[in-house]
Amino acid sequence: MDLPAAAAAPPRATEQATVISTERLTKHYGAVEALSELSLEVRSGEIFGFLGPNGSGKSTMIRTLLGYLHPSGGRASVLGLDVVHDSVEIRSRTGYLPGGISLYGSLSGSDALAYLADLQGQPAVLRNELCERLNLGARDLRRRVRDYSRGMRQKLGVIQALQHDPELAILDEPTEGLDPLVQHAFYAILDDLRAAGRTIFFSSHVLPEVERVCDRVAIIRAGRLMALQTMDELLARRKRRITLRWRGVAPDLSFIAGLEDLDVRGDRATATLLGEVGPFVRAVASPSLEDLTIEPASLEEAFLEYYADGDGR
Amino acid sequence: MAMVGDSMVNRVLLLRTWRFAWLRVLIVGLVTFAWGWLLLFFYSQFSDAIRQLVSSNPIFEQFANFGSGNLFTVPGAITLGTQHPFLIALIGIFAVGSAALAIAGERQAGTLEVLLARPIPRRGYLLTQAVAILVIAGLLVALLLAGMVLGVQTQGVADQLDFGQLPLMCANGFLLWAAFTTFSLAMSASFDRSGPALSLSLAYLLLNYFLIILGSFWTDAQWIQSYSLFDHFQPQEILAGKADPYDFALLTLLTLVPLAYALWIFPRRDLAAPA
Repeated sequence: MDLPAAAAAPPRATEQATVISTERLTKHYGAVEALSELSLEVRSGEIFGFLGPNGSGKSTMIRTLLGYLHPSGGRASVLGLDVVHDSVEIRSRTGYLPGGISLYGSLSGSDALAYLADLQGQPAVLRNELCERLNLGARDLRRRVRDYSRGMRQKLGVIQALQHDPELAILDEPTEGLDPLVQHAFYAILDDLRAAGRTIFFSSHVLPEVERVCDRVAIIRAGRLMALQTMDELLARRKRRITLRWRGVAPDLSFIAGLEDLDVRGDRATATLLGEVGPFVRAVASPSLEDLTIEPASLEEAFLEYYADGDGR
Repeated sequence: MAMVGDSMVNRVLLLRTWRFAWLRVLIVGLVTFAWGWLLLFFYSQFSDAIRQLVSSNPIFEQFANFGSGNLFTVPGAITLGTQHPFLIALIGIFAVGSAALAIAGERQAGTLEVLLARPIPRRGYLLTQAVAILVIAGLLVALLLAGMVLGVQTQGVADQLDFGQLPLMCANGFLLWAAFTTFSLAMSASFDRSGPALSLSLAYLLLNYFLIILGSFWTDAQWIQSYSLFDHFQPQEILAGKADPYDFALLTLLTLVPLAYALWIFPRRDLAAPA
């Protein structure tokens, strides 16, 4: 994707500057606490994953950042601008894909994109390339939006959010309804935007895609921040499923630190390993060890751990 | 973008709103124009016959008057035309229907979400919708009068009309519909779903209409007419050179108060994700 570097075009945010910052951000709906003292920072040039199941407060957070909702407490800024007082300026420098986007059914795809670009007040410099990469051809764009499939509407939603090359893109469940091929094209677009210094705030409950594209991840539960880590940090301390097989009877493994749920049956043993792989491998290494399988740590495991107790909200 | 106070009327949004509505405006505008002409045609063709009918049996007099209008004089016919339910329904499509759906309808459909993701202040969005609908309402009132003027000319009764009073009458008619428009916009800004916004706007229109019509058919209840907005648009009196400044002042106030409320409430509302 042919994009100018973000740092080369002031007043765009500079590399590693804070693009989104929240301090004890709180949002109540009457007695219901949708966001509770949530503090996080999103840095320039990163793809930031915002994870949580439905109803956990993801959309409330996004809507507060963009001025649709007014915070009940705390503070938040986007691109250095206050979300309460400067929301119009914020929206002029961001692109937003709402979850389950609705567009005017009577307009053609190209008219809808042109209309939204006109309202944005900026040239749609990326429109043609995005249409091409997301496989939305001229013939599709001539059709009325009401005749679009869900996937095509979602493509249009992604394009309207990114077509003016915003400094910050806030994408709420962006791959919902996209087929796997288009999903991969979309991930490649995100990679290109990151390489050009753009920042992506990416809300999702599809764990593999967050694992695939995000640099850092925040996990929220019932409006509270449960974790805020890089993907590597998050995965490093996850439990991994391991399977071992020896020639002859399995030795005693109970002395190995970090090993849980140990199950030994004859020449085989299965367990979960918490922590570093190196010390474990050194501990089990022996000439009689015939096979060792360590499944990769997955974000799903990490996610489920944070949601292991309670009602899962 | 044109500045209006600290908010803006968005040109792109304004033009698109009109483009979305142009076919409806064209059809309703043509019918409104034709209605204006038709009233004067009826007057010239049937006023004598109706007058004879009423003089033969006074019971018909009750039915020869409708609201503040009748078919016995040109100003009476014009008044009847402006207070007839057919015209109320025509202009109400925009002044009540479009205005009530301008925000609540877009909210319910989920399209407001995408519009407000652009750098448009909420007050700017609301003012743009207000301007778009008020211009359409004004255009329809002007087309109604244009149809009436054509009717007066083609039916050869131009000598019975003081053309100099028409701009004042047009302004009064516009203010009447502006009051309904801004009330409907205020309802639209207050609700997330079109049902309550449309119902309350329609109820306001019908209540005002009920008061003026009830008072005209039931003489003992004539006093309640003064509580109807329609009572503050009296083409007969304006055309007779007796326009009441109080009517203009009241309708202006009832236009500005709901608009001010809408401009106050809309930016303060939380716009949660559409269901």
